[in-house]
Amino acid sequence: MRRNTIVLGITLLVLAVFAWAGWANYEYRKQAAEKMLANAGRGELVAAGSSDTGMTSSPLLGKPAPAFTLQDLSGNKVSLSSYKGKALLINFWATWCGPCKLETPWIVELRNQYAPQGFEVLGIDSENDNLAADDTAGLAKDKAAVADFVRLEHMSYPVLLDGDSLTKPYGDFDAMPASFYVDRNGKVIAAQMGISSKDDMEAKIRTALGATK
Amino acid sequence: MKTSAAILTAVGTGLLGLMAHGQIPASDSPNHSTAKVEAVEYLYPEQVTLAPGKTSSVALHFRVAPGFHINSHAPKDEFLIPTALSFPEGSGVRLENASYPAGAEFVLPADPDTKLNVYTGDFTIQTKLVAEAGDHLVKAKLRYQACDKTACMPPKTITVPIDVVGK
Repeated sequence: MRRNTIVLGITLLVLAVFAWAGWANYEYRKQAAEKMLANAGRGELVAAGSSDTGMTSSPLLGKPAPAFTLQDLSGNKVSLSSYKGKALLINFWATWCGPCKLETPWIVELRNQYAPQGFEVLGIDSENDNLAADDTAGLAKDKAAVADFVRLEHMSYPVLLDGDSLTKPYGDFDAMPASFYVDRNGKVIAAQMGISSKDDMEAKIRTALGATK
Repeated sequence: MKTSAAILTAVGTGLLGLMAHGQIPASDSPNHSTAKVEAVEYLYPEQVTLAPGKTSSVALHFRVAPGFHINSHAPKDEFLIPTALSFPEGSGVRLENASYPAGAEFVLPADPDTKLNVYTGDFTIQTKLVAEAGDHLVKAKLRYQACDKTACMPPKTITVPIDVVGK
């Protein structure tokens, strides 16, 4: 009889501990969920490299990279079609974009490392300051700033101007940097809005090149 | 035997309870909403009354949306766009001087070595204004460039509407 009482007591104690743990867990998760809902309208830009696929999703994935012809800093016309057969990183950037400046040395290094395997970078400047086509002074100022940036960052790859004209065909993104990785067949195989990491960029370049992992 | 069965039942029931209660999704990850919102909002004052022709101090209050930062008036990099206030000419109110707050140091997670100078949360620009006599609906402008921890939005200019009464 006494043994049964002890067993019953232990059983009740175990039940009580589990009930308390369950309740505490429930409260914690409820509060966390409420906090998450409260933050839902913050409009924070999406964190690159996070598990959220929103930052790496693009309507262009699996589709041919939209064609373009833009001028480089010397006034030469450069077309995407000129790079047929190469794996590409199409990198939208701007002089005022801190994360762009941060990732540029990574891109320079990766470009130099993988160029012998058929990889190229097209850096597309998008100052996004809505200058009129006849605002020669404003355009010249932009161009000078881009030239300074290119020189200071030792950007060894083609840098093209007027990327603003491409943001719509490239998914209407509104923040930079924005990167699109294109395979040798001209298809967009990965996209990244915002900065991620050098390792992440390298992995995507290797995929674009068709390298085995 | 019966005792063991009872204990097992109790443990099982407890575990089921835990599992059932654990179904509410919890997340500590940052909010990943892509909603397009203004990074900076003008708060107040909506109306000020100033002695006409005299220099008056007016504090203009702004708020940077959570999760964003904007460059201070004196960013540390020459390529970054400073936050700047302007008053349109012919508005009946002249901006004689604007004193901007010192920015706070901010570091991007991907580059702990580089310290940026930014505004976050609420900030105030102290202005010296000279108003002409009369009622002036001034549309001042604040130019800024906002980023979060990984990406930047294009520079933007917002209207700062103030009803300035000179009397």
